[in-house]
Amino acid sequence: MLSLTTVLLPTAFGLYALATGLYLAHLKIRRPGLANTALAVIATGFGLQSVVLVQRWLAAGYLPVTNLFSTLFFFSWALAAVYLYFELRYRIRATGLFVVFLNLLLLAGALPRDPAIKPLIASLDTPLFTLHIVFSFVGYAFFAMAFSLGVLFLLQSRLSTSLLPEPPLLRKLNEESIFLGFTLFTLCMIFGAIWAFVAWGYWFSWNIKSVWSFIVWLFYAGMCHAKFIRRWQGTGYAWLSIAGFAVVLFTYLGIGLLLSSNHPLD
Amino acid sequence: MLERIWKLLCSLKLTIWLASVATVLTMGGSIVMIKYPKTFGSIDQMTLSEWFSRFGSTRPALSWWLYLSSFAVVLLGINTFCCFIDWLPKFRARWRKSGEYLIHLGFVLLLTAFVWGSAAGARSEGNRLRVGETLDIGHIRPGYTLRLDAFEPTFGPQGRPDDMRSTLALLREGREVRRQTIHLNHPLMAEGLVVLPYSFDQSADGFRFRTAAGTAELRPGSVLPLPGGGLLRVTRFLPDVVRAGDGGIYPRSENLENPAFELELLHPQRDPWRGWYLLRGGLPAPLAAAGIVLEPIEPIGSYASILTVNRDPGAGLAAIGSVLMGTGVLFALASFYYKRARGDRPDIL
Repeated sequence: MLSLTTVLLPTAFGLYALATGLYLAHLKIRRPGLANTALAVIATGFGLQSVVLVQRWLAAGYLPVTNLFSTLFFFSWALAAVYLYFELRYRIRATGLFVVFLNLLLLAGALPRDPAIKPLIASLDTPLFTLHIVFSFVGYAFFAMAFSLGVLFLLQSRLSTSLLPEPPLLRKLNEESIFLGFTLFTLCMIFGAIWAFVAWGYWFSWNIKSVWSFIVWLFYAGMCHAKFIRRWQGTGYAWLSIAGFAVVLFTYLGIGLLLSSNHPLD
Repeated sequence: MLERIWKLLCSLKLTIWLASVATVLTMGGSIVMIKYPKTFGSIDQMTLSEWFSRFGSTRPALSWWLYLSSFAVVLLGINTFCCFIDWLPKFRARWRKSGEYLIHLGFVLLLTAFVWGSAAGARSEGNRLRVGETLDIGHIRPGYTLRLDAFEPTFGPQGRPDDMRSTLALLREGREVRRQTIHLNHPLMAEGLVVLPYSFDQSADGFRFRTAAGTAELRPGSVLPLPGGGLLRVTRFLPDVVRAGDGGIYPRSENLENPAFELELLHPQRDPWRGWYLLRGGLPAPLAAAGIVLEPIEPIGSYASILTVNRDPGAGLAAIGSVLMGTGVLFALASFYYKRARGDRPDIL
């Protein structure tokens, strides 16, 4: 089981690296074949990651997302899924370059770490854990996608290049990403609150992780409203997407690694 | 005038302002929370109103942000509720926004539930209970007690505590209203109370000794027959005692620090003796003179379940809010894809 992880995961990393190269080449040469090949390569990488995920899940008997290796791996898997969603729905092509690169960083962070699955501690032995985790990371992945789209919107606003989609499309995709991320993160918060109530006897904790998760939710709730106000549309929204992802990263990695919380990563 | 106030209360810009203020204040405040654990470390162990009265009001330099942030969130709740009310008469024209407004209503209910639970709830941690004992939880809910009928800790492969199962009876005015075995993630929830396992410990209630005839377990009530027809009776055991200046022995704590037995020696050829045997001080002279051998080997004891007992009157409302919010999310997703399929764009104000 571990050998499959150690073989397939580096392969997926290699495929994502290859896709990055193909997209870069596509930006230069603009041949549809390159973009289609990149999409196929990413889909294959995602397929391999899915095989690893399913096998680790079956072997562990629970969704193994309990330490830094497994959360980086799962975040990467969710990000690939979100990228494929946008690619298949909108054919965004090299617009996803940032996301694929981010995915490479996540996998590069996971690969040197110990992939061993540890026995599940009793406090995590509940379906609420699975629901909380899945919605959390898929929500994070949409926020990461929004970050990428925000950066590209700002670039396109300055460069007006034919290499990137027009700003209205980037804005539309950004809003969709924020909306989907917010709705999924809301489900994550609901299941987390229910779990907290049955585990601790209260459904909102003032622990630093919970407080920052509420901040993430509040921030993106504000963004879901800001899109209706003209002055926040476009550039303002792109900057908010970038700032929001910084909040997400701090909530996920900053608190998990640097501070003592009830969501330790290692 | 009233119309202006209503428009302000329903204003989208107000929403963004309040959300921004609450976000920024909480971000900064979270740093204060980390830096001052003496002030904020116990905030989850009590309701927010109790924390405000015990810590927040006495340390305003550290807690002002929480007052302001709470105020901003409450205003945001009012703003959200007004938006919801404002939408209701337009339901027929804007029913596709039902998902979004269910999320609004869910948020308002959750916020109300939190305020209610914070103001009228109660929390109690570290309630130790041994099998057979009854715990008065009148300070959490008047008239109620808890009885522990059975306790069983479970251990992982390396001997580390894994889970703990406590069979509890919840009693109202002495009458059982609920009996349930609780363990991690499976609390007892009844009568507005939630009872959860927090931890457990093993308390010593006696010792195993090496004697002249082998080994013996002594605890209160034990009787050790002696050669020649004598008896050694244990009347008390205390896990931690202190000898006062007057020579008296007094209990100090429940921890196994300085254990002592109160013993009674009855022997046909000797005067009766009653006194304390402090295990760290060696066998008392009258017992040694009687030829008694008692060498302590290890403590013997029983488990105590350590429970958390909370009462949150807003929990039911919070559950309704969660359901509404979750349903709203599903509606909003369905509506979003429907609108995208039709090519709709968001309203621009």
